[in-house]
Amino acid sequence: MAADITLLFKASVKTVKTRNKAIGIGFDSTKEDILKRGRKKSGFSQKAKEVITNITKLKDFLLLHRKDYVSAGSLISSELSRMTDNERDQIDQDAQIFMRTCAEAIKQLRNEVEKQVMSAQVKEHRGAVLDLIEVYLKGVCKLYSEQRAIRVKRMVDKKRLCLLVKTCHFICFPCAEKNVSEVPVQPVSLWEEGREEDELSPEEIQMFEQENQRLISEMNSLVDEVRQIEGKVVEISRLQEIFSEKVLQQETEIDSIHQLVVGATENVKEGNEDIREAIKNNAGFRVWILFFLVMCSFSLLFLDWYDS
Amino acid sequence: MAASVREKQAVALKRMLNFNTPPLKNTTTEPVWKVLIYDRFGQDIISPLLSVKELRDMGITLHLLLHSDRDPIPDVPTVYFIMPTEENIDRICQDLRNQLYESYYLNFISAISRSKLEDIASAALAANAVSQVTKVFDQYLNFITLEDDMFILCHQNKEVISYHAINRADIQDTDMESIMDSIVDSLFCFFVTLGAVPIIRCPRGNAAEMVAVKLDKKLRENLRDARNSLFTGDSLSAGQFSFQRPLFVLADRNVDLATPLHHTWTYQALIHDVLDFHLNRVTLEEGLGAELQTGARPKKKSRKMYDLTGADKFWQKHKGSPFPEVAESVQEELDSYRAQEDEVKRLKSIMGLEGEDEGAISMLSDNTAKLTSAVSSLPELLEKKRLIDLHTNVATAVLDHIKSRKLDVYFEFEEKLMGKSTLDKSLLDVISDPDAGMPEDKMRLFLIFYITAQQPPSELDFEQYKKALLDAGCDLSPLNYIRQWKAFTKIASTPANYGGSGVKPMGLFSRVMNTGSQFVMEGVKNLVLKQHNLPVTRILDNLMEMKSHPETDDYRYFDPKMRGSESSIPRNKNPFQEAIVFVVGGGNYIEYQNLVDYTKSKQGKKVIYGCSELFNAAQFIKQLSQLGQK
Repeated sequence: MAADITLLFKASVKTVKTRNKAIGIGFDSTKEDILKRGRKKSGFSQKAKEVITNITKLKDFLLLHRKDYVSAGSLISSELSRMTDNERDQIDQDAQIFMRTCAEAIKQLRNEVEKQVMSAQVKEHRGAVLDLIEVYLKGVCKLYSEQRAIRVKRMVDKKRLCLLVKTCHFICFPCAEKNVSEVPVQPVSLWEEGREEDELSPEEIQMFEQENQRLISEMNSLVDEVRQIEGKVVEISRLQEIFSEKVLQQETEIDSIHQLVVGATENVKEGNEDIREAIKNNAGFRVWILFFLVMCSFSLLFLDWYDS
Repeated sequence: MAASVREKQAVALKRMLNFNTPPLKNTTTEPVWKVLIYDRFGQDIISPLLSVKELRDMGITLHLLLHSDRDPIPDVPTVYFIMPTEENIDRICQDLRNQLYESYYLNFISAISRSKLEDIASAALAANAVSQVTKVFDQYLNFITLEDDMFILCHQNKEVISYHAINRADIQDTDMESIMDSIVDSLFCFFVTLGAVPIIRCPRGNAAEMVAVKLDKKLRENLRDARNSLFTGDSLSAGQFSFQRPLFVLADRNVDLATPLHHTWTYQALIHDVLDFHLNRVTLEEGLGAELQTGARPKKKSRKMYDLTGADKFWQKHKGSPFPEVAESVQEELDSYRAQEDEVKRLKSIMGLEGEDEGAISMLSDNTAKLTSAVSSLPELLEKKRLIDLHTNVATAVLDHIKSRKLDVYFEFEEKLMGKSTLDKSLLDVISDPDAGMPEDKMRLFLIFYITAQQPPSELDFEQYKKALLDAGCDLSPLNYIRQWKAFTKIASTPANYGGSGVKPMGLFSRVMNTGSQFVMEGVKNLVLKQHNLPVTRILDNLMEMKSHPETDDYRYFDPKMRGSESSIPRNKNPFQEAIVFVVGGGNYIEYQNLVDYTKSKQGKKVIYGCSELFNAAQFIKQLSQLGQK
């Protein structure tokens, strides 16, 4: 539980000021101060802050439209806030472009930090700042991907429903057609029509009931299958996300290993060449020594012959 | 006290790091980066509580020592967490003059005096940096919390307030005053963080009484100033309403000198005794090969450091258990980990059969679920493996020490001495035994014998013992001091009774062979601890339950909230639910473990243990020998 003594500090500043004035020590005006402050804002922190404000804008944008985006296109509600699929696609695309530009900006800042010459502490600090921004961006991207996952699931649901509806339609159409075709076929008098309809309808009702039963059982089984598949798809997508993350991690490591290996092969090549040169020099050196010795012995022989 | 002391201190630290505003619980908030500057005291306080990762999560990009070379980093706010000493203040003024950072948030670990504040103010004025000093705070966090219910005062300069410093013969009044002041300052910070005003009880006539008087005075002064009082409710303490005030028992080390010398058998205490263990961090030297052959190059010893934190579930469960139990539990954990690993591997092979075997496809639906759960549990498995490795290494190191020094023999012997039951081996035999432990161990054993004996041994016996100890290579100066101390306490009061205790060695081999433990424990007796209360625990029990006992009846009673001077008659007749025990002059993990066991046996009571410094037996012997040499 801390005690805020900022006010105490400011009071002591005032006392020191009055004390200095009494003693007569002057100090510079605050004009320089402002100038100095203006100059000190470095490019890095401004750019970093810009990236953060951009990401925050993206987050606000996503959150603002989240309700509309996620609201199930339910067939009952006819509110005006419902989004069309086009709008949803637009949002998706915009968000993706935005996220890509943010990631690129972060990468650029990182390269700048690498290139610039500055003290180790400042470098570490900037690297950590960029890490924090990246984590923030990842959080916002997760928001987006969650929304998207919900939307994709609903689309898959809708497609299945559509298929079911179409099959239903096919089955119902013949019945409807039968109904429709039967009625104009009987242009006879009313009581005949009525009689035939009365005769036919119980049979038809029974047939329709049977058809209904069959359709219901079929649709139930289809619904069960759909649910199972839905669950599996969601799990598989989650797994896939995890695996792709791991693969990306491994990619960086493999890159570094690759570079190391390339460096090693080059070193080995250079080493081979150096060895070859050394052998050559050795051989040449030996030749010269032999030559020298032979010349010495010849000169000795010559002197001996000359003297004797 | 709903939250433990450790949580309270951690929350206070996190708030400070968030520029002294309570941290928001939003999932994604904009990152605000800052730099943390601390001195050694601040480092000791922060390191058991927050890990580097947690600091990074709070937005701290760099953490640096105050007195290191620091480069200017523009556009970044800095949080300082330091003690208000002269050198630190000078360094801050230097930083202000060099304009190292953009804005400064100064947090002082304990209260800063007005004059030092003015020093900073004048430096800020001279550097035109007054507006940069954004906030100044007194954090009142001048103590180190090691466990949920254990704290120590300081680690850095502990020689200043050690047992030796308090009890040496040539101490002067001014030294004593300054030692007492620093202890009281830390205790005051502790109570401010806890948010409760305790009822203080202390024995008469020693350092503990001085501390209690000063603390009572300080608390009273602070409470009297109702406007600025630190104990009036604020957002933090509004959440917990403890209907009872806690009991604060001050004890002096002199009431029980045998416990710090005792050989121990519980995991945490063993690690502290045998290995290098500071601030929840164990340092192991992993040397390959114990002996060096002549002419061979010594293999490099790598030093490994492990952190034993609150998040380590195995540690929390087993830090108080006797050592053989720990060995078994590590084995169990290893087995369960291997079982889980095998399951994951089996899934892998099933997945591999997917395309070939139709029978496997029908199992597919199960397997996607299993695969998901396996993959998501992988990080937990890896963490578990790391912890098991850690504990295996630590326990193996401890076991090596136990075997080479035969610590189990000493432990059994000392338990018998302290319990005043019959000894089956004479003391002289154990001391003259050449391969049972280091000279230090023998010294400890003899000191415990001397302290717990009802009457001192005859001169002849004493000379015999001394000769045996000298043969074993011990230094006899602690003995001098203990003789003085014993004479002194005999005059003052009856010697402490250590309570009945019994030690039953379990079957030497049967239990070990049955568990098939990885740790080869042959020759190490499997000892079972029976519950017994150390003197400090008994004092606490008497005071908490308001029992009447000749030892504690004449303890003084302080109540800072009461108007007027203190009265010696306790007003509160109900037993206390919460208590804080503080040992002036040093404490150790054996007492802490005893208190924890006592708390477990009583329902609904909470006990916090504190000491001015934490030493193991080796360090204590060193202090005793320094005292004995004077």
